[in-house]
Amino acid sequence: MNVPDEKVDAVVVGSGAAGSAIAAKLAVGGKKVVILEAGPERGNDDLVSSAIWARRLKWGGDPVIEDGENPVGHVFNAGYCVGGTAMHHFAVWPRLHAEDFQSRSLYDEGADWPITYDDIQPYYDEVQEECGIAGDAEREIWRPPGDPYPMPGVPLFAQGEILASGFEKQGMSTAPLPLAVTSTEYKGRTPCIWDGWCDAGCPIGALANPLTIHLPIALKAGAILAANTTVTRVLTNASGEYVTGVEYATKTGEKKQVMADLVVMAAFSIQIPRLLLASSSDEHPHGLANSSRTVGQYIMTHPAALVYGIFEEQTQCYMGAVGGQLVNQDSYAKNTHAASGAFGSYQWMIANAVKPNDLIGISNTRPDLFGNDLHDFMKNSAQHFATMTGVIEDLPVAENQVTLSDQADAHGTPLAKVTHSTHAKSKALWVAALAEGRAVFEAAGATEVWTGPQVAMHIIGGTIMGDDPQSSVTNSYGQCHDIANLVIAGSGLFPTSAGVNPTFTIHALTSRAGDHLLANWNSIIP
Amino acid sequence: MAQTRRSFLRNTGIGLLTFYVSGCEVEMTPQEARERKVAFGVLSGTEVTTLDALGEILLPGSSAAGLSHFIDHQLGASIEDQLLMIKYLGVPAPFAPFYQGGLAALNGFSRAHKSQTFADLSQADQTELVGQFAQANPDGWEGPPGPFFYFVLRNDAVDVVYGTQAGVESLGIPYMAHIEPPSRWGE
Repeated sequence: MNVPDEKVDAVVVGSGAAGSAIAAKLAVGGKKVVILEAGPERGNDDLVSSAIWARRLKWGGDPVIEDGENPVGHVFNAGYCVGGTAMHHFAVWPRLHAEDFQSRSLYDEGADWPITYDDIQPYYDEVQEECGIAGDAEREIWRPPGDPYPMPGVPLFAQGEILASGFEKQGMSTAPLPLAVTSTEYKGRTPCIWDGWCDAGCPIGALANPLTIHLPIALKAGAILAANTTVTRVLTNASGEYVTGVEYATKTGEKKQVMADLVVMAAFSIQIPRLLLASSSDEHPHGLANSSRTVGQYIMTHPAALVYGIFEEQTQCYMGAVGGQLVNQDSYAKNTHAASGAFGSYQWMIANAVKPNDLIGISNTRPDLFGNDLHDFMKNSAQHFATMTGVIEDLPVAENQVTLSDQADAHGTPLAKVTHSTHAKSKALWVAALAEGRAVFEAAGATEVWTGPQVAMHIIGGTIMGDDPQSSVTNSYGQCHDIANLVIAGSGLFPTSAGVNPTFTIHALTSRAGDHLLANWNSIIP
Repeated sequence: MAQTRRSFLRNTGIGLLTFYVSGCEVEMTPQEARERKVAFGVLSGTEVTTLDALGEILLPGSSAAGLSHFIDHQLGASIEDQLLMIKYLGVPAPFAPFYQGGLAALNGFSRAHKSQTFADLSQADQTELVGQFAQANPDGWEGPPGPFFYFVLRNDAVDVVYGTQAGVESLGIPYMAHIEPPSRWGE
């Protein structure tokens, strides 16, 4: 669709989980909304069931320069198409716990959020009903208060049954993994067929991605979506007091502008700080919304704890959801592994569906094997392999940050450089989790157990929210402290990473922000 | 050649790629492109010979499965349509210099230690050299880091052998492509 020449109420930069959700909220609320997406349009017919073709969903925009001991894996963890990163997300949607919002106050580690669990709980419940989550609230003994799940828990296949026995023998609990995937027909959406292709995008509407949930709502309410449209700068009025729109480049490189009363930046944790920093001016010499000098800081990820094993039984490891079948949060209390020098929370996503190839495929669990040894390993593992993944909390560190490179893209916008090195206490937590995971696999009867290297899962932070304008970028609604009509949405707002997947919380925060913006529109826009 | 979703799914995995034959676009799998001796667009003859030999050591059967045609085809693809796994391994596009530099480094290493190009070595010698550069940059290796080059090429070989529908099913497990639902949600 073409971007209109006339001024609109809101321009949303990015069409992923946060961008599509805020666009839907504002459009349904009667606002004229334009969504600008840098990536191409990919419809359901493009979501080919293949680990190879799934790579088209990963980041394909301007290069991001990565640095530090533990890079965030930007291309793998980011998306580049209409629907953004959420088009290849696994739809594991647990809630953050109450203590996640008060880590600094309770433990003198990390940071406090400017909200409590009580503030966000109604939005978790609202989003859960809107998007649909399969789970079992009673069996999920660690779950914070909230409405029961609207769909029954995901089915258990052999891999899940085997690993559940290991947890049980260790005196630990499991429950169905909360997944934003249809375990039954839900609001006209067909049930999942548990074929393990979540990473390739879900073309049947079973997984709650933007193409299935919020973009249709936004478009039906009149929002305009423009793909292949790369925002290059956020525009302000002459005094720099408020934003007036954005400058963007079309696919052919032509520079244009769209003017709006409200600008929502929903372009993920790396590109948002990049654009804010690149939009500096005499009035904002350190970049937009950066009087605190924290734009770009506190980039976090989740170090993934990867545990692998071979069992005598057939595991059906190709079945289920890529996110897994079961969850365990027995180690969620943040000082569980304090004796090991660790701090933070983690959960296990148990019995992930795996395919033979790709970075998270069976073959790469043993990258040392080649030749006929690799063939032998693949043939055995296809029948007898099992795995689970720990989502490890990553303590926020100011020096883990996005800065501008001295290289620029074709439009003249400096490239983002992102530096990330895992905090020692988070690394210790990753080590402790792996030891626990090994013990579970051994208890389950694995004939072989091994673990993977530390890899990055999710990208969080970079434009954190907070009560103090001197140490954070936005308030709890994502409004920038410096510029009220400039709003940030997405995981970039998180002051801490917690030990669970971020997308459900992205949606809850976005819904809360949308309600606030609509209710206070006249006092927010200039 | 019209490509229906049904025909596409039959070939799911790498699937059909568009190759140019006598100035015409023809859709075929990398394996078919190899069998029909489709001309290479980026890689030289020496590079293809080296790549095929390396593929057979990394994962026997990968050359016949069209490893060289797959890589060569993708080296001409845009970054947003890129299917090679190197896309998300931190190497800036374009990727041809990485592949060509690695293959040249392999032949240089082979000549320095075995006095022959890699493709001319015995299988035992080829396996020995791969085992060396897979672990660390050997003396005289001049190109992309050896272990990383090994990792990338090994994944490419796995893609063409086990990333296809036939490859998955050869492991005794179903491919389970998404079925076409009777009525797609939202339509």
